[in-house]
Parts: sequence; C-alpha cells; structure tokens
Amino acid sequence: MTGTILLPVLVLLPMAGALLSYLVGRRNKEARNRFALLVTVAEAVLVALALVRVCNGEEPFCELPELLGGIRFETDGFQGVYTAVAALMWMMTSLFSAEYLHHYRNRNRYWFFTLLTFGATVGVFLAADLMTAFIFFEIMSFTSWVMVVHDENPAAMRAGQTYLAVAVLGGMVMLMGLFLLSNLTGTLRISELRAACAAVPAERRTELYLAGALILFGYGAKAGMFPLHIWLPKAHPAAPAPASALLSGILTKAGIFGVLVLSARVFLHDGGWGTALLALGEMTMLLGAVLAVFSVNLKKTLACSSVSQIGFILTGIGMQCLLGEENGLAVWGTELHMINHSMFKLVLFMCAGAVYMNTHKLNLNDIRGFGRGKPVLTAAFLCGCLGIAGVPFFSGYISKTLLHESIVEYTEVLAETGSSVLLMKGAEWVFLLSGGLTAAYMTKLFVAVFVEKNADPAVQARYDGLNRKYMNRFSAAALLIPAALLPLMGTTPSATMARIAEMGQEFMNGEGVHHAIHWFSLENLKGAGISLAIGAIVYFGVIRPLLMRKKQNGIREYTDRWPTWLDLEEAVYRPLVSGVTWLTTRICGGINTFGSKILPAACRFLMEKPIRLLASVPDALTDEEDRRPLARGIRGAVRNVIRGIALIPDAAADLAEKSILRRIPIPAIKPGDSQPDDLSVPDVVPKKAVNIVNSFSYGLILFGAGLIAVLLYLIFN
Amino acid sequence: MRSSVMLLLPILLPTICGIIAGLVPAFKKDETRRVLVLAALAGTLGVTAWQIFTEGSALALLTIAPGMELRLAVDDVTRVFASLIAVMWLLSGIFSREYMKHEGHRSRYDCFFLMSEGAMLGVAMAGNYITMYLFFEWMTLLSLPMVLHSQTKDAIRAGIKYLLYSFAGAFAGLLGIPFLLKYGTTLNFIPGGVLDPALTEGHEGLLLGVAFAVILGFGAKAGIYPLHAWLPAAHPEAPAPASAILSGVITKAGVIAIIRVVYYQFGTGFLSGTWVQTVLLSITLLTILMGSAMAFQEKLLKKRLAYSTVSQVSYILFGLLLMNTQALTGSFLHILCHSIAKDGLFLCAGAIIYKTGRKNVDELTGIGKEMPVVLWCFTLCSLALIGIPPMCGFMSKWYLAIGSLDSAIPVISWLGPVILLISALLTAGYLLPVVIHGFFPGEGFDYSKLQKREPNWWILVPVILLAALAAFTIWPQPLTDLAKRVADALM
Repeated sequence: MTGTILLPVLVLLPMAGALLSYLVGRRNKEARNRFALLVTVAEAVLVALALVRVCNGEEPFCELPELLGGIRFETDGFQGVYTAVAALMWMMTSLFSAEYLHHYRNRNRYWFFTLLTFGATVGVFLAADLMTAFIFFEIMSFTSWVMVVHDENPAAMRAGQTYLAVAVLGGMVMLMGLFLLSNLTGTLRISELRAACAAVPAERRTELYLAGALILFGYGAKAGMFPLHIWLPKAHPAAPAPASALLSGILTKAGIFGVLVLSARVFLHDGGWGTALLALGEMTMLLGAVLAVFSVNLKKTLACSSVSQIGFILTGIGMQCLLGEENGLAVWGTELHMINHSMFKLVLFMCAGAVYMNTHKLNLNDIRGFGRGKPVLTAAFLCGCLGIAGVPFFSGYISKTLLHESIVEYTEVLAETGSSVLLMKGAEWVFLLSGGLTAAYMTKLFVAVFVEKNADPAVQARYDGLNRKYMNRFSAAALLIPAALLPLMGTTPSATMARIAEMGQEFMNGEGVHHAIHWFSLENLKGAGISLAIGAIVYFGVIRPLLMRKKQNGIREYTDRWPTWLDLEEAVYRPLVSGVTWLTTRICGGINTFGSKILPAACRFLMEKPIRLLASVPDALTDEEDRRPLARGIRGAVRNVIRGIALIPDAAADLAEKSILRRIPIPAIKPGDSQPDDLSVPDVVPKKAVNIVNSFSYGLILFGAGLIAVLLYLIFN
Repeated sequence: MRSSVMLLLPILLPTICGIIAGLVPAFKKDETRRVLVLAALAGTLGVTAWQIFTEGSALALLTIAPGMELRLAVDDVTRVFASLIAVMWLLSGIFSREYMKHEGHRSRYDCFFLMSEGAMLGVAMAGNYITMYLFFEWMTLLSLPMVLHSQTKDAIRAGIKYLLYSFAGAFAGLLGIPFLLKYGTTLNFIPGGVLDPALTEGHEGLLLGVAFAVILGFGAKAGIYPLHAWLPAAHPEAPAPASAILSGVITKAGVIAIIRVVYYQFGTGFLSGTWVQTVLLSITLLTILMGSAMAFQEKLLKKRLAYSTVSQVSYILFGLLLMNTQALTGSFLHILCHSIAKDGLFLCAGAIIYKTGRKNVDELTGIGKEMPVVLWCFTLCSLALIGIPPMCGFMSKWYLAIGSLDSAIPVISWLGPVILLISALLTAGYLLPVVIHGFFPGEGFDYSKLQKREPNWWILVPVILLAALAAFTIWPQPLTDLAKRVADALM
C-alpha cells in the first residue's frame, strides 16, 4: 500500500460497522441502532478530517495494487465534499431510521445492507480510477437493492426486479465501455484520462464515443437519466423512507459522478457530447416534472421530482461541455445543484417518512390534512419545497440561477458568432417550464398535506390527535438540521455556496467564475420569477381544475389522470426484454437440439455399413450343415459376439438420443432359420440392448479398441 | 530434471485407497471406511502439494516404443490443476460423508470417487501425449459409476451418453498421436510446440485438420458444442458431490488436454491466425451463448447448473484459443473461479436436496429463511459466476475481454466481449431469481410453517469454504502472477 491509510479506512469503516451492527443486533436492537448511528458519526468525523487536509492543499491518495487488481483512492475538493454530503445523509437517515423502522421485520438485514451501501458509495466517490469506481458501484447496486425490496410486498418485489435488472444491465454495459476505453487509452486513472483521451487518434474517435456512450448508459441508469429513469418512480416509493432518501439523494449522484468523469475528463469541452447530454438532460427534466405533476402519491411525486432534478444537473453538465473554456457558471451550477438536490430529497423523503410511519398511507387523498398543526414537520417540508422550487433566499435558487445563466451565456455566445439561437432559446424555455412545474407539484403536495383538511372528518380528527406525538425528538432533529441548511445557504451564497463550488471546480476542469456574481440582481430574480409564475399558472390552471375531481358529496379529491398504458417500462421495456429472451432461448434451444443429434447421427452413419458387413460374417465363416457340438458352439459364440458388437452403437445412440436414429437393420438370426442371407431385408433387432447397457462392456470395449488402435499403430510403425 | 518415483504417489495413493475402500471387507462398515476416505483425500492433498512444489521433477515410467513412453512431469500447468483437483476432491469428499447417507451403495461410490481422483491427477501430471490420453480414458471409466450411481433408467441413459461422448471425443484426440509422431519431434510436452517446420512443410492443411479434430475431440469433455449433450444429462443424475466434481473439475480435464495440445504440441505459432483458431473461437462463443440461454429456461436446478457449466467452460476455452497473454491469464483465473463457484453451487443444491428434497427452482421460494447459510453461500458463488466484483468471476472476465479486444482477429475481437456481456446477463437471469425468491419470499410467505433446516457442519464447512474461496480475487496477486507467468512462458 502506498499513500494515506485514511481513504481505505473511510471505505472500510462502514462495511466493518455493518458486520458488527449485525452481530450487535442479534443481541440487542436498541444497542444496534445506537451503534449504527455511532458508525456514521465516526465516519463523518473522518471525512471532516480528510476534508481539512484537502483544504490545506493536500490531495490524499492511496493505492492498494494487490487488491482486486489495483484499488486506488484519492480525494480532491469535489470528491471530499461529496463524501461529506454522503456522511451527512447517512447520519441523518440513521438518526431517523430508529423510530421509522420500529415496527419493521428484518431490521438487522436493513441496517447491515444500509451500512454496506454507505461504504460502497464512499468507495465510488473516492475512486481514483474508473475500475475502482466500477467495483464499488456494483457493490452499491446490489446492496442497495436489498433496501428497495425491504418491505417484500408485491410492489416492492416488482420495483426491486426493475431496479436489479437496470442495475445489472447498466453495470455490464458500463463494463463493456470500460473494456473499450482501457483498450483505447491504456489507462482508467481519472487523473490521466484527460491527456490519454486527447491522445486518441482521430480515426479511433468513433470508438471513444462508443465507449463513452456505453459508460454513460451504466452511470446514467443509476442517475435516472431518460430513458433509463424507469426504476426511480417505482423503487423510491417502495423502499422505506430513509432508504428512499438515500437512493434519491445520494445513489443517483454516484451515477452523476460517473457522468462528470466522462464529461470533464474523457470528453472535456466536447461540443457534440455536450449537445447529447443537454438533449438527454432536457428530456429527463421535463418528463420527470410532468410525471410528478400527475402523480397523486407523495413519495412517487418526490421520486419523479428526482428524475426531473437529475435532468437539471445533466443539463448543467451538457452546458459545461458546450461552453468550453468559459464554463464557470455551468460548473458551479452543476455542483451546487447536486448538493442542493441531495439536501432537498433528504428533507422531503424523511418528511414523507414521518407521514407514512403514522398513517401507513401515501396517497394524497388519504394523507390530506395530516400536517395541519404540526409546526416542525411543516417547517421542514416547507424549506424543502421552497428550496427545490427555486425561491430566492433558499439554496435551490442559487444553483438554478447559475444553470439558467449558463444557458443564457451560451445563447449569447452563439448570437455573437451568428449561429442560430433557436434551439438554445427552446432549451432555456424548457428549463424555465420545468422549474415552473417543480413549483406547481411542490405546491400541490404542500397544500394537500399541510393546508387542506381531510375529506373524512374522523380521519382529520385522528390526525389532529397525533399532534406533538407523531415523532420523537431524534427524528425531529434529523428533519430540522438539514432543513435549516437550506435557507442558511440560500441567504449567504457568497460565504457558503461559492466556497463549496470553488472546492469542486477543479474536478470538472472548470475555470471558475471570475467576476463577482450579483446573486439577487434583478436579472437573476427575473428567471426565478418567470418559473414561479409558470408554476402558479400550472397549479391554478391545470392541477386544481383538471387533476382534481368532485365526488358525490361535493368534496374535491386528487385523481391520477396519467393514462396507465403510457408507461415506458410496461409498454416497451418489459415486452422487449421478454421478447428478446424468448427469441434467444428459442434459437439456442434449436441449436442445442440440433447439436445433440450430430454425434449420434455421425455414429450411425459411420457404423451402418461395417455392421451390416459384420453381421454377414458368421454365416460366411461357418457351415450351417455342420452339426458337430463344438462347431455349433463356436458358431453360436461368434454370432453372439458380433451381434453384441453390432448392437453397441445402435443401443448407445439410441439411448443417447432416442429420437434421431432409426435402428440399423441387420438380419436377425433365429434358431432353426438356415437361410439368413438376404441382407437387404430390414428387420428390427429385438431390444436386448439393456444387457449391454447395464454392463461396462461397452465402455471397456471402446477403451480396449482405443488401446488396440495404439498397439496396431506401434506394430505397423 | 530430477527423476523421482514419488511422483507416482498422488496418483497411486487415492487409487489404492479407493480399491481398498471398495473391496476390503474390513472397510465395509461406514464408520471405518469414511475415516479411510477422508484420510486418503487429505493425504492426497498433502503428497500432491509436496510433489508439485518440489522443483522440476519428471518420471519416465516405461517405454512402449522409441519415442513413446509413459511419463509424468510437473510444470506450472500441472501445479495449477493438481492443486485445484486435490482441494476440490477433499471438499467434495467432506461433503459426501454426510450427503451420501441417503444414497446407498456407499462403498462403491467411495471407491470410484477416490480412484477417479487418481486418474484426474494423472491427467494433470502427464508429461506426454500418450500418458495424458491413457489417464484421460481411465478417468472417464472411473467417473462413470458416479453418474450411474442411482441405477435408474435415466441414470443409465445418462451414463451411456457420457461414455459415448467422452469416447468419441477421446478417439478424435487419439488421432493426434500418429501425426504428431510423424511431423513432430517428440510427444513430450514442450512449451511452444513440437512440430518440426522442416517436416510440416507442405502438410499444413492436413495438420490443421488434425489439430481441429483433436481440440474439438478433447473439447467434448469440456462440453464444447456440439459435443456438450452429455453434461445436462449426466450432472443432474449423479449425486450432488459427484456432480460438483464432474462439473467443476472433470470438465477441466478437457481444458488441460486442450492446453497441452494447443500450447505444448501443435504450438501457438502454428495455430494462431489459422482457420482452426477462428472456427473454434466461433464455436466457443456459440457454446457460451447457447449454454447460458439453455440454463435460463431450465427449471431443474442441477440441470440449470449443468448448462451453466457448458457455457462457463467455454469461457475458458475461448480465452485459451485467443492465444494471447491477457486472455490466457483470464482463462487460468476462470478455471479456478469456475471450479470453485460451480462446486459451491452444486454442493449448495445438494444440501437443499439433502434437507428438503426440492430439486426444482420454483420450489425454492423462502429457502433462504430455512437454510440461510447455504443460500448465502449460493449467493456468493452466484455473484462469482456472474462476475460481480469483488467476487472472482469479475477479474477473469475482465482479462478475457481485454484479451479479446487485444487480439487482431476480425469480428471475434469485439464480438467476444459482447457475447461475454450477454451471457453474464443471462447468468444473472438464471442464478439471481433463486437467491431473490429464496431470501425474499414475499408478503404472502407463511412464516409459521418455517423451520430451520440448516445442515450439519460436514455439509456446511465445504460450502462455506468454497464461497469464501470464490472471493479469492480480493487478493489476486499470487494467482494473477502465477497465471501471468504461465501465460508468458507459453506465449
């Protein structure tokens, strides 16, 4: 091992903690909860230590060449910051999980795999080469799957199936891309990739794009990029709330991490790559937002919202590539929106968890009015809402403004060079529209849960009765700490967010923002204003009149108007996968059957003539009229031996592959039948083959024949 | 090179103990015999380790004719295989001690189980073609009774199929001897090959045809298409520890033979870049895909694993036939990986059959709640076979794919990784559902009927050891170094 031991410890500590917490949990559940929290706190302290070293200008690095063909960790500003975000998220969800999971079965399993996932995720963020990243990425995929299916209900199992299929497929396709990339560049070290990829000769550039696309498939699938986003809206609602927060907040970012490596190292400032990412990002952004507007399930809305926010981040990455050297705004925006989104979803999913652990329902009509008179929950959820909607003085405003400005800046660059700005204008409007939809669906959630009363007064009374005792103070702390960060960062952007952004810009090879940014200038506020106006229009113009329905008793309730057949997974992917596997197995089944018949058929073909010939030998050799006992005995013995030999391939082939072989017609020798000379008469040998088959004789004879062949060769040589 | 009679020990010890176990009345009693069996297996591991790590010994036993002798020798290939064989036999033997209680005819089983180990070690330690061929045939015959063990109609049918394919294959293998004697310098295994360029000139076409037949013939043991049909028939019929041996180790006899033929007799210089290489690579790719697809649709667990073996052993052959260092390293790693993982899977399947009698994949819902340790081991071995890091299949497939991309053969060089990828997906598709439904039976599962059925330590220890070994690539350095050394010596 060379380098600092701190980095492998960061990865191994949660993994070892997982094992220990499992053992502790077999004895004492309470002690296990506390121990797991302790592990996350210890990890956070170590991460802070690493971060301090990074701030002091060090770049901690560690290489373990003996392990798994070479494991390398490093941490620069971005990696350090994201590891810290991961540690914070795990700490908060662990704090929250103790109460949330109280009534669950198999809690030991949950803790074990959650902590394993922690270690693996840290491994991805600290990876110094794509190989290491891949190894921990795969571990993360599999261990987090257990979190998704934890409830074991049909919805969770089905969601788990989708999640696992996407994860396995994504992982394998990514591996393929890594093969290609390492074949092309000879290195997978993140720090060396930039130079190595620039050195790829022009004629192999297409292969580089292919490799990039394959790797993007793998990381994009985890991030939730269109059209691989299908697992998110299914898996997040199915998992326990703290797990949803982790899946949505941090595991998707592990995917983004890979996309960043591709965009900032392999395809640095590559316009074509940027355009592709921009297009995918815009699609993801809009689609996720539209799905979220339609959804009437609290956690599904949040999950679709994750898809949408990942789209914002991908758009930012696309802009980084398009803007080339002058991409400071996009770099900052991307990084800050990643962190912001992690925080939003941490808060929001844990709020959803607080709702679910009391009501065991997620449908907006069922949980309507739950939040009334619960100030802690209301405050936390409101912070999340305002943050994600991009309202000024909350952190989401800052990152969205940066991303918006980067689009505006590129439009200006295009206008200066005289190119068409139509597409970029379109991109800008999709961006603003998606922001508006974000505001609309968050308003929908907030109004439904915290403002409106439940349709059933009895239910409302029960919800009101839960006030002040719906969660304990640990859970409340877990909600409020990250929630408080959002306005804190949003009001002091230059002191907090810009500093964080500066730490990370080097990872993306960004130049940084040279001019001072007027965060709350009129122009920047205008973008947020347009988005919020669109949000208001959508909420009052679409959601309230069109996505709600009056019941007989005159009370309006939320209704899901999204057509059920319009589901990419059910309509396209599942039929496609089953169709392809059906076809593959059929074709291979045919090949298999055909192949199984070749050898028996060959045996028959080769042996038919000699056997017929052999069958005629005893009669040619002996005189049927000779009735001396010895002669008869010899004749009979010879006949039997030859008949035996004649039966071998027939019987063997018959047993080996029953269907293929006709029996070889040889003349049957019946006692008393003195004229068996017509060989052409087809007659079937009685099925006495079993005698031979049951014995070793067949094998021994062939073995002997092999030896004889050797000996004959030796003799005649 | 030192000549040492001791080289015979690894072969003779299990053979003689096997004969004693089968024939001597004093060992008719199960208690005494199984002490002998375990002692013999452990002893074999000991003498094998001693012999193969004694520097460069060789032994010429007897000379049949000038240039043709029975000869044992130890080189790096021997070391890899002999240690693998001895370890796998020991673990399966420990497992058999408990498992065979419900099978009957135990002394016969023990007898052939031990004797086939001797023959298999003989294949690994053979120093020339003739010796290898003799042990090869011997091994087929001695392993046959394990397939026939249950003596049902299906078992006999499977046994015959096994014989037919093995002997047909070996006959094709036999074809090589006269040609190598005529066009080569010796039948001894010399790295780089023995063909004499002066003699072969003008006869390349003929020799390529012979090489093709020989490789395909020996490939029958390794389940190469179209000579694979015996595997899915024989494996489900044999008792679980015997299936583990058949699938995990005996198929590797074909691999040893092909390594010897390709790298030590015909030589890569002669074969690489020829139609033989291209055609055989295509066949192995076809086998990989077909085996996985067949396993995917198979419902009987042991048969599913057998088809999986068809597919996985062809990974190894694919790497061998690519004939470059990276791919060969991948092959050596995959030999170990597949042996360990597949042995583990078969033993897990056996443990499930032993405790519950369930053989069908659909019946295994909730099995993880009844036998958690066994299913955990099954999971780890499955991940190894699929190639999920940090389990071993990942490393071997990595080297195989890199080797494939490095090779200059058109189409195959990129088709190889694609097929490996599709096959890995199918592998996940046929192994993971067992794990998923085993551990996550779903809400409707009746927990009240649940009872712990974990088998005893005689079954658990080998299974756990194999699952732990399947993670050997966490510290792959010694093995990659060895594999690279072998590969470099051969290239």
